[in-house]
Amino acid sequence: MVVCVLLARFELLAALGDRRALLSEPAALAPEAGREQMVGEVSAPAEAFGVVRGMRLGEALSRCPELRLVPPDPEGVRTLWNEVLDRLERIGAAVESDRAGIAYFAARGLEGIHGGDLAGVLSAARRAVGPGARLGVAPSRFASYAAALQVRPRRTESTLVVPPEEVGGFLVPLPAALLRVRPELQALPEVLGRLGIRTLGEVAALPPRAVSERFGHPGLLALDLARGRDTVLEPRRPPEPVSEQLELPEAASGPQLERALEMLVARVLARPERRGRTLRGLAVSARFVAGGTWRATVTLRRASADPARIRLALVPRLAELPAPAGSIALEVAAFGPPAHDQGRLLDEEGAARRARLGEAVRQARQSAGDDAAMRILEVDPRSRVPERRAALTPFLGEGS
Amino acid sequence: MTPVRSRRLGAPRPVAVRVGPADRPAGVGGSPVESVLEEWVVEDRWWTGRALRRRYFELVLVDGRNTVVFQDLTQQGWYSQRD
Repeated sequence: MVVCVLLARFELLAALGDRRALLSEPAALAPEAGREQMVGEVSAPAEAFGVVRGMRLGEALSRCPELRLVPPDPEGVRTLWNEVLDRLERIGAAVESDRAGIAYFAARGLEGIHGGDLAGVLSAARRAVGPGARLGVAPSRFASYAAALQVRPRRTESTLVVPPEEVGGFLVPLPAALLRVRPELQALPEVLGRLGIRTLGEVAALPPRAVSERFGHPGLLALDLARGRDTVLEPRRPPEPVSEQLELPEAASGPQLERALEMLVARVLARPERRGRTLRGLAVSARFVAGGTWRATVTLRRASADPARIRLALVPRLAELPAPAGSIALEVAAFGPPAHDQGRLLDEEGAARRARLGEAVRQARQSAGDDAAMRILEVDPRSRVPERRAALTPFLGEGS
Repeated sequence: MTPVRSRRLGAPRPVAVRVGPADRPAGVGGSPVESVLEEWVVEDRWWTGRALRRRYFELVLVDGRNTVVFQDLTQQGWYSQRD
């Protein structure tokens, strides 16, 4: 059996901090800086106006002009949610979580250490995550999520267990919109709705061949989910937190920020936990002077332990910072293989570069005409007459 | 493959200049001049039959653009030029 732990509006609550009173008003998470202009999680009063997560900001404001936009706090949400996942892992659960507020784990194998039955596992999970969590138990991940959604919060019996023999009947009346919990099925419920298919029972009744022909792989996945089947859980790998933070004495920007990042890269590379490994992914985060946080993840094309290369990959992301930062942090998101960069015996890079350049020029000319690749030729660079200094001439290849 | 010709970079382009006091530009292409940063004269090739005499102005326009224009002192036309 799969257990779903659902903490509704987790991101909104985390961003609100001690301003939780705002939950009784129409409120929504504002779009993250530099991302699509869509609202995040919304409060119940905002839902009453028809505002839902993922709605365009303009539409949300036109539906509910009094909507309070709460600055998102991705860094805070991540920290708080990781604490929840850590606590669940401490009871022995191998946790899968793609989104803050929803976690899944398999109960099988945990009964033995929590009283010998499922109830013991559930009470251990409840103690781990605290009050306010809704627990759903079912044979599949999707069905357990649907079960957790059916649980009324703030009730003593905040757990719903759907036995394997009842899962088909349990899912039948539920809305097909629940399929949106899977990122790859975000758009499917709307299309199904246009075809008059509104419940999971109606989805489950569709012939697989027709579904495959009309919707391809996502359609077959939806069919499986609606019939109570699901893909296997993929628990997260325990994180190895390696991060460095730097308080900025004054709201820094531009070169100062780059300098701060350079220091952070050097500090992260010097951490003993790295054990000689390269870095594959990094996350830069910042806390703004005026409140709120920002986080950007960078995956290196080639895992590296070269500070210059890492800095080159990270610096462009600093330009996305929407406000002056009071502190900046760098965290290793993923390690690569041990560093083994060695000098080459033969310098083949020059020849390879020339060949790549020649091929790029050929392709550019093919698509944009013969004058697509030109080179600037200095004719008389010291001339007092500007038009005599340089000319554009055809690029004939290296050395032309 | 059609032959591709070379061309000069930074060739002057004719521009409409409104002339103010002391024959200095007061507007370029419809934008008033905020200030004249620099002014200089270039005389070249005077020893040939095609002498070149230009009076250059480096200007800041009210829309914030920084531009260089010159008056051709032999033919009296105005041109803009990227330095």
